[in-house]
Parts: sequence; C-alpha cells; structure tokens
Amino acid sequence: MTDTNLNRRQFLGGALGVAAGASALAACGSPDSGSGTTSSAPSTAPSTSRPPIASEPGKMSLLEWAGYEAAGTKAQTAGMTVAGSDYIKKYGPDSVTYTYIENDDQALQKATASGGFDILHPCFENFQDYVDRDLVQPWDLNLIPSAADIDPGLLAKGTKDGKTYMLPWDWGYGSLTYRTDHVDAADATGWELAWNPKYAGRISLWGGASTNFEIAAIKAGIQDMDHLTDDQLETCKQDLIKQKPLNKFYWDSEYGQMQPAIKSGTVWIAYSWQDTLVSMKAAGVPVAYLDPSQGRIAWFCGFMLGKDTQNYYHAHEYIESFLNKAACAQMTNAYAYGTSNSMVTSADITDKALATSLHIDDLAALTSPSVHLQSWNPDRAKVLAAWQQVKAS
Amino acid sequence: MTGRLGSSLLWVYFVLMVAFLFLPLAILVLFAFNSGTTPTLPIEGFTTKWFTDAFSNTDLTSALVRSAAIGVLASVVATALGIMAAIGLNAKRVPGEPVAIGALLLPLVVPYISLAVGMLILLQALKFKNALWEIALGHAVIALPFALLVILPRLRSLDGSLNEAARDLGASDFAAFRLVTFPLLLPALLSSFIICFSTSFDEFAIASFLYPSGQPTYPVFLYGGARSPAILPQLIAIGTLVIVISLLIVGLSELGRRWAERRIEGRNSASVDVSSADNLATT
Amino acid sequence: MSRSTSRRIGGQGLWVWPPVVFVLVLVVVPLVYIGLFSVGLRSNIPGTKTAFDLSNWKDFLFGENNPFRNLFWHSLLITVLVSVAVTIAAYPLAYFLSFVARKNRYTLLLLVLAPFFTSFLLRVIAWQIILNENGVVNSFLWWAHLRPEGDSVTWLIYSNFSVALVLFYSWIPFVALPMFVVMENMDRRLLEAAEDLGASRLTSFLKVTLPLSIPGIIAGFVFVLIPTTGEFITPLLVGGPESQLFGNQINSFFNDSPDWNYGSVLAMTLILLVLILMLVFGRFLSADLRRPAAEVS
Repeated sequence: MTDTNLNRRQFLGGALGVAAGASALAACGSPDSGSGTTSSAPSTAPSTSRPPIASEPGKMSLLEWAGYEAAGTKAQTAGMTVAGSDYIKKYGPDSVTYTYIENDDQALQKATASGGFDILHPCFENFQDYVDRDLVQPWDLNLIPSAADIDPGLLAKGTKDGKTYMLPWDWGYGSLTYRTDHVDAADATGWELAWNPKYAGRISLWGGASTNFEIAAIKAGIQDMDHLTDDQLETCKQDLIKQKPLNKFYWDSEYGQMQPAIKSGTVWIAYSWQDTLVSMKAAGVPVAYLDPSQGRIAWFCGFMLGKDTQNYYHAHEYIESFLNKAACAQMTNAYAYGTSNSMVTSADITDKALATSLHIDDLAALTSPSVHLQSWNPDRAKVLAAWQQVKAS
Repeated sequence: MTGRLGSSLLWVYFVLMVAFLFLPLAILVLFAFNSGTTPTLPIEGFTTKWFTDAFSNTDLTSALVRSAAIGVLASVVATALGIMAAIGLNAKRVPGEPVAIGALLLPLVVPYISLAVGMLILLQALKFKNALWEIALGHAVIALPFALLVILPRLRSLDGSLNEAARDLGASDFAAFRLVTFPLLLPALLSSFIICFSTSFDEFAIASFLYPSGQPTYPVFLYGGARSPAILPQLIAIGTLVIVISLLIVGLSELGRRWAERRIEGRNSASVDVSSADNLATT
Repeated sequence: MSRSTSRRIGGQGLWVWPPVVFVLVLVVVPLVYIGLFSVGLRSNIPGTKTAFDLSNWKDFLFGENNPFRNLFWHSLLITVLVSVAVTIAAYPLAYFLSFVARKNRYTLLLLVLAPFFTSFLLRVIAWQIILNENGVVNSFLWWAHLRPEGDSVTWLIYSNFSVALVLFYSWIPFVALPMFVVMENMDRRLLEAAEDLGASRLTSFLKVTLPLSIPGIIAGFVFVLIPTTGEFITPLLVGGPESQLFGNQINSFFNDSPDWNYGSVLAMTLILLVLILMLVFGRFLSADLRRPAAEVS
C-alpha cells in the first residue's frame, strides 16, 4: 500500500514494545480498585448554599421510560396529555431530553456508568441499588405540594432513614399479552405459554434480565422469585435457555418493537405491561392480557433525583407537574396503570370494566398474595451473570 | 486474454453486482420520498415532508450537529498528527521505527468494540464523566492510520529539492514547511480530512459507550430511532441526504484527483523536456 | 530536474513520537486496562478487593460447556464462512475490472467502492427495511400475490441468514480492492507468453493469473476477516436472539452487567484473536504488492 515496508517482525516488535511500555505505566498505578461511580463524595444534606432557580441551567436530562415523556414534548406520542404539561408550558418543549430505559438492569448500569441525569424513573426492585450506589439524593417534599397526596404506605417504601429518595408514581403488572386470534385459549393458562413450542418464532420476551429470571422462577413454582438459591438459579437459567430459540426477538423498545410486532401479527405472545392491552384494543387488535395460574408480576416505580443535578428546583417543579391529581388520573386512563396519588378514585377512571378487572383503583392489589411484587434481589449480580450465559447459549 | 463469452459473463456479473451494491441505497432514497408512514410497498405517493419533519426535529438536528463537531475535531487532530507522523517517518533515521510504525497502524486492526470498552473502563478509573471530547479523541485515534496512509505517500512523492531550495534561501525549517511543503500537501490533507471525518461521523461503538446522557451522536441516535416507527421516515430522509453527500464527495474527489494529476503531468512533461534538453547538451 | 529520492522532506525522525504517544495513551493503555480487568487486578465495582485472579479466564477457556466459549467458536465460524464467500464473490469483480474493463476500470472501480464510502449504519438499516416482516421483500410478495397478505417469510430477518447477508453485502467492495491492485501490477507479458506458447484461455488463467493473484486474494480475505470478528452492529439491527456474534456478548456485558471483569476476558480474547490473525496473515497485508511482477522481470 505504501513504501513504508511494515513487515511482520516490525509490526510485532512495535506492538509488543508499545504494549510492554504501557503495561509498565498502567501497572504502576494505585493498587486499589478503580471507581465505578461518578462521584465518591458522601451524600450531603440539602445545602443552604443551593443556587436559586433562576441561575440553574434549566435543561434537564432524564432517564425515563418510553411513553412517560412530558406532555407537550415532541417525544410524547403515546397518549399522555396532562402529566408534565404545566412544566413544559412554562419552560418550553426543548427543556428536557430523555434517555430511554431499555430495562431495569440496563438503566441501573447506565446510571452508574454514565451518570449525569437530573431525574431518574427506576422501579422499586432497584430502589436500594440507586441509594447504595449514591446515585440519588433525597427530595424536598415541601417543594412538591402534591406529594402530600401520595399513598403513605407506598411513600414509606420509597423512604430510607427518614429521607424520601423515591416518589412512587405508577404501578401495575407484568404478564403476557397474546393475540386471541392466533393463540388457543386452552394454551393460555399460565407463564408456560411462553415456552410452548407451538408458537415458536412468535414469542417475544423482554430483554430485562431480572424480570425473565423472575418469570422462570414463578413458572417453576418457586415462592420467592427475588431470593433464589444457586440450584434454583441454575434451573431458571436452563429453562430460559430452552425458551430462547422460541423468541422472534427480545424486545428493548415497547413502542418501537413490541407493540408494532403484536399489531402486525409478527409476534403473537409478548411480555408486556397492561398498557399494551389498552393500545391494542384502541387499534382494534384482538388481544388478551394473560392472568397466569402462577400469578402476574407486579411493580411500582417512582421518580428519583440525580445526585449531581444542577437543576434542583426545576426538578421539583417537573415532578409536581407529574404528581398532581389531573396528571395522575389521565395517566391511569391512558395506560391502565395504577397511580400513587390517593386523590384519584374510581370515579376518575373512564373504563370502569378495565379498572375492575385489573384492580387498578385498589392499591391493595399491588401487595396481594396473588401477584409477585418485584423487589430487591441481594444476589442480582448472580442473576445478571446467569443472564449473560443465557444470551450466549 | 478473456474470450468473448467470458467477457460477456463478467459484464453481466459486474452489472448485477453493482445493482446489488446500490440496491439498499436506492431503497432508502425511494422511501425518503414515499408518503406512506412505514417503509413498505406499494409506494403511496411523493412527498418531501419527511425532510422538513427531520429538520424540525431538534433531537435529530442536535445529534447531527454534535457528530459534525466531533468529526471536525477528530479530523483536525488526526490530520495534524498524521502530518507529524509522515514527516517523522520520512526522515533518514527514525529512532524506534518498528515500534513507531506498529503503534501508528495499530488502530486499524484493533476491534472497535474492545477499544470502546477499554476506553470506557479507563475513563471510569480516571473518574472522567462521559463527554463528547472523549469521543472525538477516540475517533481521532482510529482515524490516524488513515490520515497517515494518505499523507505519507504524498509527502514521499514531493520533490525534496524544493524544500532544500527554500532553506538554502534562508527559510527556517518551519517556514520551509509552512510555505513550501504544506501547500503541496494540501490535496492529501483534504483527502485525509474527508476520510477522517467520514470515519468519525459513522462511528458507533465508541460513541455508544461514551456519549453523555441526553447528548447522543448521530449514529447512536440513528440506532435508537431505527426501531421507532414514528421517526423512521425522518431518519431515512436524513440518511438519504448523508448518502447523496458522501457519493458527491467521492465523485468530486475523483474528479479533483484527475484534474490534479493532469496538472502535475503537464508540469512534469515540461520539466522532462528541460532535463532531456540538458542531458543532450551535456553529452 | 529529476526527482531526488535522497532529499527527504522533514527529516526530523522525532516528529513521529507525538502521534505514537497519542496512540499509546488512547489505544494501548485502554487495552492494557482490559487485560488488568480480565485478571482481576482492577474492578469497576468500588470496594472490591483486587488481586491477580485467573478464575474468569479459567472458566472461559476450560469451563465445561462454557456458553461464551461456544459462542466464540460459533461466531468465528460464521465470520470465516462469510469472509470466504465475500472473497469468492469479489474475485470475478476484480478480474473484470482489471482484465475486461480495461479503459474505464478506475471509474468502474470507484463505482463499486462508492457504496462502501457511505454510512455503514445506514446500509444495515436499509437492509432491515428490505428484509423486515413488513419490509420491501415481504410487501412485494404480498402485492404480487405470491404469498397471502400478512404471511411473511420469517427467516429473512432476525436470523443467521440476515446477519450473513448483510455482512456479505457490506464487505465485497472493500475486498475487491487489494485483488484489483495485485492484478493491475501483474506483468501482462506473462499471459501473452502463455498464449504464445499455445495455452488455452482457461489454462492461462488457471496457471498464470490465478496463482499470481493469490497475494491479493489472501489480502482481501484478511481485509474482511479481521474487522468482522468484532462485528456487533449488524446482529444488533438485523440479528435475532440465536444469531448474535461474539462482539454482541461483549457489548451486552458492558451495557447490562456489572461484571466487567468477565466482560474484559471476552474483550481481551477478541484482541488476542486479532493479534494472532495479524501474526499469521500480516505479511500479506504489508508486502510490497508490486513484488510479483518485479521478481519475474
């Protein structure tokens, strides 16, 4: 290619010499481990020297689920019309950017690795992780009037050492949505539907590692899906390996992959939350939301405040625009999710039949023994390692 | 050397191959103007609204601007370093030449995914947060071999006596470089800039790991949007523009190369006449 | 005025070192860090005791039925197969350009290379649009009533086929290039001599052209083999759960898992693989490609 006759010996010599030199450089570093967090300073109490709202940068970066973008932003196309609208009207549609959560584990990883988010929207199962890794700081409830309406039991779950780290906002279920025109009702008895070889290539599980292991655990009849012994973990892993070839794909994007696939009939069975039921009914697609014999998965999620946010007061205002009653009521009607705002009653819900069948007007459903609430798993690292093995198999 | 049958078959093969190679590009152009909201057949109608939609999508335009800025920075750094490396390698004696050559061409073979995660863990260890300039530096280093491979041959082909003449006339090394060598290198520098820019603009692996939250580069944004039916038509529209621009640049640089060659050949043939006349005179 | 090769511009050999240091810092140090992570000398999880620990390597290399090792071999196999296919497909192209399309060969070469200079990501996305369930191929089949509406050919997308096809498509232009260069530098008089001696066209091809073009063939093969071993973008967009490559697993480890030590074992394996390939094939990339013709004359 050029006159520079790079022969093999030269190249090797070069590469080895350079590598040796660099190894010496790198190995002479400090003997303790590198840091994985973005900040190592201990969390401090709300400081009195916080800059006033006028001098905050204003542009916020959120780690958020698709569909939860503030109403009024270009990205919000899924049907939420009230939540966030107050904030956007005041600060403009370009005042927030969204980085999408693909699944709980990926979100935690992203928050840990890149950081820099003003607001995050994780779920209860990772609450302890976010607090332990010093990724978040407590909210000042005095700045959020509607926080007083949050169900106290739920709010308590988001509180640690008297400080409120998570403001619960939404709750619901995880189950399988299936096309009633392609799936035999006789097969739709429980989670084993996703393992049914009859529907090979027509199934799509979520890419969420923890959730898939919970599904496998529930299907195997394991009582506590978030505390698995090593044997149970291995059983679940083998089960998921068996299930893998039946998937068309593991979906990462609800609106980008999963819902269009169900709509077009590419996929007949998919892991989803109950909002898919609403979307499909609205599009005239015949689906049902599986009520498995082993019980559905349940979750609740909430807003957390980034540790290093420069937009402390903006963030609180944003949350207020999501937590007020009108916003929560509209969200429930749009997505059939439950809300943490206790002011929202069954009177506010338009589809009464749906509300009753899903019990979304009754917070007690979240902790009922017939569902499995996703909670903190102390051995999550093992689950994630096992998931990597599933993916490689 | 190749019979008529062989030639005809090869012509057919060639035409089919070119059609195959351009097929996806043609498809993108087709759907960039298709009025249907999803890229499926049959074509519904002609529209340019995806282009206007795309340019009013601030997330998309900011990603484009970000990638362009990173591309410019990476190209400038890579080209500058490429000049230095070429000058260095053109010397009579290069201290540590095998090591230097090995290092300079190393980025060509390193798998980008390994390099990306290596940079990620290094930056985490150094407690650097994700930033766009980090991406630019990563792009500069993977583009550096291309810059070198474009600049070095050009430098080697330049007539050293011009440079010596300048120095004989009293110019410093640096002035000689600036006033004599650098202008002569310009075609290669331009090629280097273009190659480095397109390498950076399209790079996904490093960018996907190092981009700061909420500030994706264009390829990262593209990847995210490829599975979102809402903005896919806009992405196809912008993609078409990018493709057309790249093809134009390829075409123009080829025309430019031919033009430059013709000029150099003209000059050389004139000088050959002079030297042959000299030779004749001396014999 | 003749060209004086002994008068070199620059001449300051030391100028080569700033760029080299740049590469050292940005490429070699990160790779070394991957190595350190893979043996447990560093960790991304704060508070972990770090000590030289080969257990991850042992598990990957010797663990019974280790899925990552299986994926590595599977991925390598696909890579080699695709590289062979690309090389075979690109050869007639290069031959055509160099021996048939004599007058316009450089323009036609540029025509072939042009798609390669456009965005790789966009070309993969274009294939996704073509092969998708509702994509060009399927919607064409429905429109032409060759298949019932809504019934799509399932193996077109999210399969080994789609990954292999897109990889094949992407690399043909680039592989044709070194073959073309070698053929261009071939001494045509040899072929004339063969014909003068009475060899048929096929024989001269098999006994003269083909052997002389072998360095180009190998260079082309390596041109596609080395980058493709680390490929992960194509499977991300057009691959399914069963058609992911080794690069995807690395991507997955660092995106979804906190176990970066194990992920570094995989990343390091890829680097070592490439280094080994360079060891074996490096001479074909670096040799002066003019040598065959020069040696003969």
